[in-house]
Amino acid sequence: MEENDNKNSTAIVEVIDNGPVKITGQIVLRDLKKDFTGTLTEVSLCRCGRSCNKPYCDDSHMN
Amino acid sequence: MEMEKNSFSGGRRYRNNEITVYWKPDACVHASYCYRELIEVFDPGRRPWVDMNGATTERIIEVVNMCPTEALTWKWNDESKNREISADHTNHVIFRRPELLEETEPIGQVNPVSVKIMTDGPIIIKGDFTFSYSGNKKEMNHGIISLCRCGASNQMPFCDGTHRKIGFEDK
Repeated sequence: MEENDNKNSTAIVEVIDNGPVKITGQIVLRDLKKDFTGTLTEVSLCRCGRSCNKPYCDDSHMN
Repeated sequence: MEMEKNSFSGGRRYRNNEITVYWKPDACVHASYCYRELIEVFDPGRRPWVDMNGATTERIIEVVNMCPTEALTWKWNDESKNREISADHTNHVIFRRPELLEETEPIGQVNPVSVKIMTDGPIIIKGDFTFSYSGNKKEMNHGIISLCRCGASNQMPFCDGTHRKIGFEDK
């Protein structure tokens, strides 16, 4: 691997079957409705539409 | 066979007296900027769904430039104006405001992935990442995906625009 390869990304976007989408790596998250921007390294986002803490998963899909 | 006047290879086009807007449905990821910003022009429930008389040219250009993919692009009907734009480091068909092209700054040595939560719409993920879903694994380079957030898409895990039909709302 190139030492100065700044295009390299280790980010992983994993869609969990019947669950959230889990994203790990260097992330810039923008929520347009809440007008929020943040940098983070791990996040699980709701895919079922039922979370009470959108956009984040709160395990509501299990109910 | 003669092509329909308002069609081009890969899509349809819509004109007013100043500009032509090009619509490529296959490129659309349902980010929904267009109809959230300007329902008077871009109304998915109407046929034809684009009404070039619904707003000023300036406003239409502004909203077309928000499209994160090449589903919506535009150019001037006056070719000489398109050449002026090309001299300004932009393509005349895929003209976008330069500030909209780069959305993320490198953090250290790594270009972060951009994760956008669209208003009452999908998750748009852009950048370099490994993408896995239902047994598939793909390396995405400068990729863009749009994931369903309403739970009702018929093309899971991808957004197919159903959130609009069911009235999905972030609460």
